[in-house]
Amino acid sequence: MENRLRDMAEAARKALREATSLDELEEARIKYLGRSGLLREIQQGIRDIAEELRPQVGRMINETRNELERLLEKRREALEAGRVHERAGTDRIDVTLPGRAQRVAGRHPLLATLDDMLEIFLGLGYTIAEGPEVETYYYGFEALNYPADHPAMDEQMTFYVTDDMLLRSQTSTVQIRVMERTKPPVRVVVPGRCFRRDTLDATHSHTFHQLEGLCVDEGITFADLKGTLLAFARGMFGEEAQVRFRPDFFPFTEPSAEFAVTCFVCSGEGCRVCSGTGWIELGGAGMVDPNVLEGVGYDTERYTGFAFGVGIERFAMNRYGIPDMRLLYSGDMRLLRQF
Amino acid sequence: MRVPYTWLLEYLKTEIPAEELAEVLTMGGLEVEEVEEWTSADGEATDQVLLTSVTSNRGDLLSMVGVARHAAALLDCEFEMPDYHIPAIENPNRADADLTQGDSRITIEDHEGCPRYSALRLVGVEVRESPQWMRHRLEAAGVRPINNVVDATNYVLWELGQPLHAFDHKLLVDGHIIVRRAEPGEKLVTIDGVTRELTRDDLVIADPKGPVALAGVMGGTDTEMRDRTKNVLLESAHFNPTMIRRTAQRLGLSTEASYRFERHVDPNLTLPGMARAAKLIEQMAGGDVAGPAMDVRREEFAPRSIEMRPARTNYVLGTELPTDEQVELLERIEFEVKREKLEQPEGLEQAWLRPVPESAQAAERLTVRVPTSRPDIEREIDLIEEIAIIHGYNNIPTTLPVNTSGAGTRTRLQKLEQRASEVMRAAGLCENISYSMMGSRDLDFLCIPEDARERETLCLRDPAAENQELMRTTLLPGLLSAAQRNVHQRVEDVALFEIGRVFIDRGELQLPAEEKRLSAITLGSARTSTWNLPDQYEKMDFFWLKGVIEQLLERLHIKDASFERAEHPSMHPGRTARIIVDGEAVGYIGEAAPDVQKTYDLPEPAVLVEIDFDTLLDHAHLLAQYEPQPRMPAAIRDVALVVNDDEKHTAARLVNVAEQHGGEFLQEVRVFDVYTDAERLGENRKSVAMRLTFRHPERTLRDEEVDEAVNRITNQLRRKLGAEVRTW
Ligand SMILES: [Zn+2]
Repeated sequence: MENRLRDMAEAARKALREATSLDELEEARIKYLGRSGLLREIQQGIRDIAEELRPQVGRMINETRNELERLLEKRREALEAGRVHERAGTDRIDVTLPGRAQRVAGRHPLLATLDDMLEIFLGLGYTIAEGPEVETYYYGFEALNYPADHPAMDEQMTFYVTDDMLLRSQTSTVQIRVMERTKPPVRVVVPGRCFRRDTLDATHSHTFHQLEGLCVDEGITFADLKGTLLAFARGMFGEEAQVRFRPDFFPFTEPSAEFAVTCFVCSGEGCRVCSGTGWIELGGAGMVDPNVLEGVGYDTERYTGFAFGVGIERFAMNRYGIPDMRLLYSGDMRLLRQF
Repeated sequence: MRVPYTWLLEYLKTEIPAEELAEVLTMGGLEVEEVEEWTSADGEATDQVLLTSVTSNRGDLLSMVGVARHAAALLDCEFEMPDYHIPAIENPNRADADLTQGDSRITIEDHEGCPRYSALRLVGVEVRESPQWMRHRLEAAGVRPINNVVDATNYVLWELGQPLHAFDHKLLVDGHIIVRRAEPGEKLVTIDGVTRELTRDDLVIADPKGPVALAGVMGGTDTEMRDRTKNVLLESAHFNPTMIRRTAQRLGLSTEASYRFERHVDPNLTLPGMARAAKLIEQMAGGDVAGPAMDVRREEFAPRSIEMRPARTNYVLGTELPTDEQVELLERIEFEVKREKLEQPEGLEQAWLRPVPESAQAAERLTVRVPTSRPDIEREIDLIEEIAIIHGYNNIPTTLPVNTSGAGTRTRLQKLEQRASEVMRAAGLCENISYSMMGSRDLDFLCIPEDARERETLCLRDPAAENQELMRTTLLPGLLSAAQRNVHQRVEDVALFEIGRVFIDRGELQLPAEEKRLSAITLGSARTSTWNLPDQYEKMDFFWLKGVIEQLLERLHIKDASFERAEHPSMHPGRTARIIVDGEAVGYIGEAAPDVQKTYDLPEPAVLVEIDFDTLLDHAHLLAQYEPQPRMPAAIRDVALVVNDDEKHTAARLVNVAEQHGGEFLQEVRVFDVYTDAERLGENRKSVAMRLTFRHPERTLRDEEVDEAVNRITNQLRRKLGAEVRTW
């Protein structure tokens, strides 16, 4: 009986393994595992053997059945998968056709640059303020300590509407408006459009954007200005960045400085982007002139502060390798879809 | 300014190479833009020329001596003035400001314009070409050599910074110089050959017959040096910066002299300048100084004294510079310093001052005498800046502010604006930035009527270009022009939006209203590709962009929004809607009007949106409140209505009637199909299918309850709108 079982199992395994279609497989199942199949027949023969051997044989029969059922299931899965595969011959798509999704647009490179700048200053505890783009002469020049009829005003190349109304040529005008409505400590950045009577070319525009910063409190120092702009440069260009300060002149700051960062292309070696100097000029900065603080009613003995202004266009152009400032204002879809 | 290196080294005892000197000067506040390799036209001299860019507060750096003095301070080396001898001087400080000496007379009538006029007479000069060394120097400095006398004056202008003028004494009527305002309508032919018409604002040098020079700007042809000139009147004067500037600006005439006077020339430089030029003329042209020099002025120009606290330097700069060092730095720029110990520290005991280190010697005060060449130094802070510059900005420590004023966050409006931009971009529209100026032509293109608010424009006095004379009152011209440029570049799919400011004029006495707009334009498809797609899926039509705006409103958590047919001058009369939020109109959406489409050369109708962004954000919410998801299943009924296809039977109207009569369990009414078919429905009839969703918060609705509500709705639609109802 045991031999018969072993032979039957061997034959069943072979039949199941070698079935080449679901139909053949079903045939084999009926033959060996069916209601009146061979295994059943052997099982019924158990009555004819000795009583003490029955449990052992019974176990063997069960094990064989389990084994064959597992085999059957595995083979069925394999054959079914094969059938789907066969269908691919007639039911298929050209997966190389282009996708048809709704487009998603990215941030304008200028605004993405500004966003990154704002992130840094938000992290340093600054809030963001805005102010009018059309200003009075008072906010445009007088409150910023510009002497009347001074050559310093020529540099601003200001657009005028009337003698007393002008387009702001720098975001510094908002310093005054912010301080007029805030008591120190003040910590604010001001992004915005500015205007100068510059001719349009690859690196000049009559409309441009600046980010202005202002920090006024007790004991704010020039050293703090340097540290803040170093933190800014490192936030934008990485931990290796260095900043350099050299004296400059702005009527509303004293001492005044021009600040530059090590060229992010050549790391200071000198290249085309930095005109061989190793430095890229970022903007102007300085300690807020006491006349400006006095004008907004701050105690100039007690409070000191710094201010800085960064042009955003140049920054964005360097960062993305955009060669012409006018492209930023072109609305060219081919440009905008790149970012 | 062009600063020839070898010329500069005449006053500067150093051997530093030009490139290094350029770096030192740049880092010390005198920017050297370039070091130029220079060769003279005759090929016989070479030099390196430092091209400096001088900030407008530092007129003192507009001369060789000024640059040398500054470089000496930065390099801490010796500095030497050029050689001259001031001759005997006739009668300074005359109250009547009138002086006669020999055959010459000087009268200052306008003291505000001319605080000082010095002059010297040279007789028997021989005018000819200057020697080669002089010609080379001037050429390197970028000045055209003329003759030995004029060259001497230009040389001194470059060397000391004192503008001079040489008159042919014989051609001055009575040898009489009068400094006065011009009479209106007076004329002067300047040496460039141009006839200048003068006004009361112009300061002139005149003789009894009329103007002979534009003071501080340019001489006149009538009295200029000629080849046969024998006697020279050499003018060395000090003029008011503002008056010189106004004249130069009005006449569009900027000269080396006016450029310097505008930036302030040291009033005590008239005599050294005159003496130095006299010496050079004697050397090159012979002749003799005739009699004492004349120096007409009513006052002394004394150095200014300023008090400063060394501790304040450290408070402002964040340094720990000892007083000794501060004094030394100031003395290097030739400021005289007097030190004074204070019994009681002044102003420094206040609690807010940073603890000052011992080395800063808080209880000291300095009294600093500032030379008259530095009118920009008036206050303690100006001296602190000088200390910082000579000490070197890059030697100042680098720290971060100690106090913190709290976390930096964006305001509600800033966050909402960010979100609006995100939604528009997620819908595939690119961010546009266009110029803030436009022309009145643009408003004509947009068919904006004369009485529209968009015509309340701000007009620039001096526009940058044609058709850029106005500040924009709408963002549409910028978007339409961008679309046009794209189309010309054969870009078929254009989807642009801009969030930007417009400017509405409120008259001269008030700044304009600056309002934010969110505007958009779409043309073509929104998809990455459109193969096999039916037209209505392919194009960004009115309903596509309307869907985007609805998404925008939803993301701004605006609940009550509707669209109603409206007219807008730039949009198609039948395909335009007003956008209404909480009962307030916030903008328009519509297809570009056929005329507008044609003007901008667009191949098909573009869809336009213009939204009053400030008003929109008034109704927006940053955060939404959670509403529990429904637990009970909904009962859904579809209804098809056949109604007249006209303005009375809009989808909104049908939905509105359904909502009014649907009872408390009606949750949503949604149009899902619309079609017209003259054969099946009749002429001018349309079928509108709506899905009605009913739900009870706590239990399943019974069929009878739902049927009753649907009947109520259909009855009302029949009664109010004459709808034929077909239920599924
Ligand atoms: Zn580089």
